[in-house]
Amino acid sequence: MALEIPSPTAPQLTASPAAVSAALTTTEVRVTSSFRGAHIVLYGAVFDPTTKPSDVVVIVRGPEHPIRIARKTKVAGLWVNSRPVVFRGAPGFYMTASTRPLQDIASFGTLRRLGAGIDHLAINAPFEQRTETRYGVRDVVVSRLGGDYLDWRRAVIRLKENAGLYDADDKGVTFVDKDLFKAEIDLPTKAPIGTYQAEIILFQDGQPVSRKVRTLTVEKAGIERTLYLFAHHSPWLYGLVSMALALGAGWAASLVFRRN
Amino acid sequence: MDLYLPIAEVSVNAPLLVALGALVGFISGLFGIGGGFLMTPVLVLMGIPPAVAVASMANHVAASSTSSVISYTRKRAVDFRMGGVLAGGGVVGAIVGVELFRWLRLLGQADLVVALSYLVFLGVIGGLMLVESLQSILRRRSGQPPKPRKERRPPWLYGLPLKMRFPRSRLYISVIPPVLLGVFVGVLSAVMGVGGGFILVPAMIYILRMPAGVVVGTSLFQIIITTSLTGVLQAGRNQTVDIVLATLLLVGGVLGAQLGAKASSRFRAEELRALLALIVLLVGLRMGLGLFFTPDEPFVLMTGMG
Repeated sequence: MALEIPSPTAPQLTASPAAVSAALTTTEVRVTSSFRGAHIVLYGAVFDPTTKPSDVVVIVRGPEHPIRIARKTKVAGLWVNSRPVVFRGAPGFYMTASTRPLQDIASFGTLRRLGAGIDHLAINAPFEQRTETRYGVRDVVVSRLGGDYLDWRRAVIRLKENAGLYDADDKGVTFVDKDLFKAEIDLPTKAPIGTYQAEIILFQDGQPVSRKVRTLTVEKAGIERTLYLFAHHSPWLYGLVSMALALGAGWAASLVFRRN
Repeated sequence: MDLYLPIAEVSVNAPLLVALGALVGFISGLFGIGGGFLMTPVLVLMGIPPAVAVASMANHVAASSTSSVISYTRKRAVDFRMGGVLAGGGVVGAIVGVELFRWLRLLGQADLVVALSYLVFLGVIGGLMLVESLQSILRRRSGQPPKPRKERRPPWLYGLPLKMRFPRSRLYISVIPPVLLGVFVGVLSAVMGVGGGFILVPAMIYILRMPAGVVVGTSLFQIIITTSLTGVLQAGRNQTVDIVLATLLLVGGVLGAQLGAKASSRFRAEELRALLALIVLLVGLRMGLGLFFTPDEPFVLMTGMG
């Protein structure tokens, strides 16, 4: 059984005969006018000639967009927004599902290398960073946000979790049969448009031994897509057409009511 | 029935939006205002991104105003010349306002300016209107004759140059005050997502001293011109007009506006004003008081550009 060749960013997998395979019930989510989120099931199997205990971790990442976040501060008795701070590296959607809590499956360092778990996401504010020499050490990265930096980072995650875009389910992967497992992916209505990656990692003895990646696309379809493209490709014409519709509707209504 | 909006990127209940459009349209026809000051906050509370709500409102306001203006024109209650002068200022104001709003969003301060504008403008105007209309209601109830309308118009209105005759309004005044008023209302229409009728109507009565009969029709006429431009500019510059949202609202809106215009003749003017003042005041307080309370969540995500 051949191991899948790991991508350059993926950590070197320990040589092991065990392997994992998986498939999604849906690989294309169409956002139409009736879109109210999507429910996708991931099925997978573990192939292992030995009987070592295995753990499966599923990580789904949505397309990344820079995030602008502001903090409300009290100025002269009013709560006003601070200067917005841009964070990069936060996926638009992020979900982990595993057979056990992640920290029981692998060490901190392994999880950090894999980017597995919300705490291990490389979310940072590059525009707030600068390097300087401190205590004689050159190129120390300091953030202009100072000691509050972690509050900001935590707020990004908290707001995403509240919007249903970030989730960690440590019982999300369930074995339906001896080697057959299942995980559920719930995309909320707010899930961003774009390409998603579902990464399925098999762990044995705290080490990743097999890894598979499946892609999932979320795209606007039908009338939604037509209108969205129209609004963004020819915004002025779109504006004129929608205003003409509005004025026409107002005029039509007054005609109808005049007859009555 | 839920519908996913292509620009706002949220799912909304379609019949609820049509009903909301009809209710606001009714109020719009009844009081001769665009109704944007009421609709925009409700949309934001429903989870529509504020930038999309403000921009899409322009279409709704333009539609329901068109529908009412046609009824007012038949009653010869529109001063087109005055409306044109006001709209001239409104066009300049709308262009400035759309750029101002874009800049405020980049700074992350759009929420603050919108909330403060609601608090200040709606609070002051609602308060003044409420006091004035309650006084005239009390005076009528106690059998006193209505306070004679001050015929002496403020002298500064006549001292200014560039005088113009407005036969329908029986006025001969400088065009400077109406143009400035138009500019101001144009800026507000872009920043607050309102037509500006709640400012125009009292300003036309108390500052320009126009006859009450033509005020509402003329204000609506100016609102159509300003909001049409705002709507096109918002779509062109910011891509924030959601045509599906606007259509849902205006379907209800135009029908409601007709019913409201019909119903308005059944009420006394000062009672209508008192009711409108109360609505204006409540919306202003609801939007603005949030600034004074400690927020539950100290951080805010700025979707898209702000």
